[in-house]
Amino acid sequence: MIRSKLKVLSLGVAIGLTAWSQMAVADTSDKKIALSNNYAGNSWRQAMLNSWEKITSQAVKDGIVSSADAFTTAENQVTEQAAQIQNMILQGYDAIVINAASPDALNGAVEEACSAGIKVISFDGIVTAPCAWRIAIDFKQMGKEQLIYLAKHMPDGGNLLEIRGLAGVFVDDEISAGIHEGVAENPQFKIVGSVHGDWAQDVAQKAVAGILPSLPEITGVVTQGGDGYGAAQAFKAADRPTPLIIMGNRQDELKWWKEQKDANGYKTMSVSIAPGVSTLAFWVAQQILDGADVPKELVVPFLRVDQDDLEEKLAGTEVGSVANVEYSLDDAKKVIAGE
Amino acid sequence: MTALLTKRIRTVSEKPWIWAFLGAFLVWLATILFTGGTGAGEILSAALAFATFSVIVGIGQMYVITLGPGNVDLSIPATMTFAGAVSMKIMDSQDVMILPGLVIALICGLLVGIFNYGLIRALRIPPIIATLSSSFLVQSCAIAYGRGIKIKPPELLADFTTTKIAGFPILAFCVVLLAVVMSVVLHRTVFGRSVHAIGQNARAAELAGVKVDIIRLATYVQSAVLAGLCGYLLSGFSGGASLNMGAEYLLASIAVVVIGGTSVAGGFANLPGIWGAALFMFLLVTMLNTFGLSAGIRLLLTGVIIVGVITLAGGRRE
Repeated sequence: MIRSKLKVLSLGVAIGLTAWSQMAVADTSDKKIALSNNYAGNSWRQAMLNSWEKITSQAVKDGIVSSADAFTTAENQVTEQAAQIQNMILQGYDAIVINAASPDALNGAVEEACSAGIKVISFDGIVTAPCAWRIAIDFKQMGKEQLIYLAKHMPDGGNLLEIRGLAGVFVDDEISAGIHEGVAENPQFKIVGSVHGDWAQDVAQKAVAGILPSLPEITGVVTQGGDGYGAAQAFKAADRPTPLIIMGNRQDELKWWKEQKDANGYKTMSVSIAPGVSTLAFWVAQQILDGADVPKELVVPFLRVDQDDLEEKLAGTEVGSVANVEYSLDDAKKVIAGE
Repeated sequence: MTALLTKRIRTVSEKPWIWAFLGAFLVWLATILFTGGTGAGEILSAALAFATFSVIVGIGQMYVITLGPGNVDLSIPATMTFAGAVSMKIMDSQDVMILPGLVIALICGLLVGIFNYGLIRALRIPPIIATLSSSFLVQSCAIAYGRGIKIKPPELLADFTTTKIAGFPILAFCVVLLAVVMSVVLHRTVFGRSVHAIGQNARAAELAGVKVDIIRLATYVQSAVLAGLCGYLLSGFSGGASLNMGAEYLLASIAVVVIGGTSVAGGFANLPGIWGAALFMFLLVTMLNTFGLSAGIRLLLTGVIIVGVITLAGGRRE
């Protein structure tokens, strides 16, 4: 009896919530959101901007917001992005969504925006200013996942080659720290070489080709994304057996994996962040403008590709792009609720 | 007569490119001493394969820098990306399209080169600004055209760019030939001598009857065409064009020229040094990677060692 009353009650709450969210949609119809993006020169960022364009143009058409313009700085410079944010303040945007060139150097401009009553939501490249929201990626966990996978599929362990990202960048340090933590927990693995691949296939290929001759047999390659295909090319060019290379969701990586899988049953996994995270940031911004109570720290889910869903994910990924998902308003609500 | 002879002997013993090769050799030696001899040949083979690309763009950059102070081509990375993206898309992985693809890549370079010199000459923009701004335009074209699409190169082109005979890459052999030809052009033709003359004193060269404008145009076009060629070959080598494929060749193209013993102030070019410097740059990174040093120390040492080599190579001539 009590249970059924509870059910009715929760149903009532659910209906109320739905009504509230529908009402909420109308509330932001005159709001303007801007995307301040620091870099557009790789496939991940291109996909990120495409997703933004796709989702926000629909949202504008549906009257959810009045505009959602994307701006990218030319030189990936902090000063340039700070100036860009100041322009956005003057242009009267209600919320600014930022993929930042630096976690702290933009704080001045961000705080100016906050005190002008503008909501600032940072994602991927987050800002540390307390007044801003952060949709952060747990990069450390991204590194650790790789070792968890390796430990499960190669219980005997072996030598690992680590391909890092761009030296001096926070993301690179975090993923690498996660990988090293994973190695410490699984001492059967040993990192015998480490190179910087700058998240680019050609740089990774070059760096791996250089260090490979001096290394013993490699059983696995731990990566940061964007570098797996280049590593595979380098192993092939050096006539060495292809180790298990963790991939980073790039289409060329997934395609190469699929070819190997068909040819010899090659097994690996692929993990990265969907570029569509920009759309998650958009919906979070919309929710904040709507008056929803959103915690300042949010975490983005990973997008992982495994042996079983490789074909499906590959088919859904545009040539030259990155495996992607675009987030919906409901997804954003789930992330806000911490689910 | 004797004075001339002694001068000859001195110039031979003071050839600035010696230092780049010496540096490359020492760095290689240090690497294989560290590994206990394993991979000595493979490291060299990899160095040759990758140095090839720096050499191609380095040659173009060297001619430009030799034109005199202020002359530099900053549009090389963008041109590489653009030519790579366009040619890969046009070839669409088909072997029959390899030659048309090459022609297209070279035409891309040709257009960028003409555009660059147009900005420099017609609008009187300093070359460093002109080539930088044109690089933004070209890079944007590459982004708009390719949208980051990575199309596989034709099988035959990929094979050509990666095949090795007894560890020696075929492509490296071709580029050694290219370097020899360009060296002859530099020292034995009217064009090469004119580039030198303009670099040493543009006014004097003009009064002596050198067609300064045409020579400068040809030099910028040559640089861009070589960048186009490099983008085409690099796309074949690394399995397709990508938007940031040229990024590291901006500094590399200038570094190999300077380390190779060419005068930054212009007027004195040195072609063999480019090969030495390109090998040196690759082997240096390999050595520091093999030592397993942290990124900070690696960058620090790279800087210190490059300054050292340039001081040795450039200091003597002054």
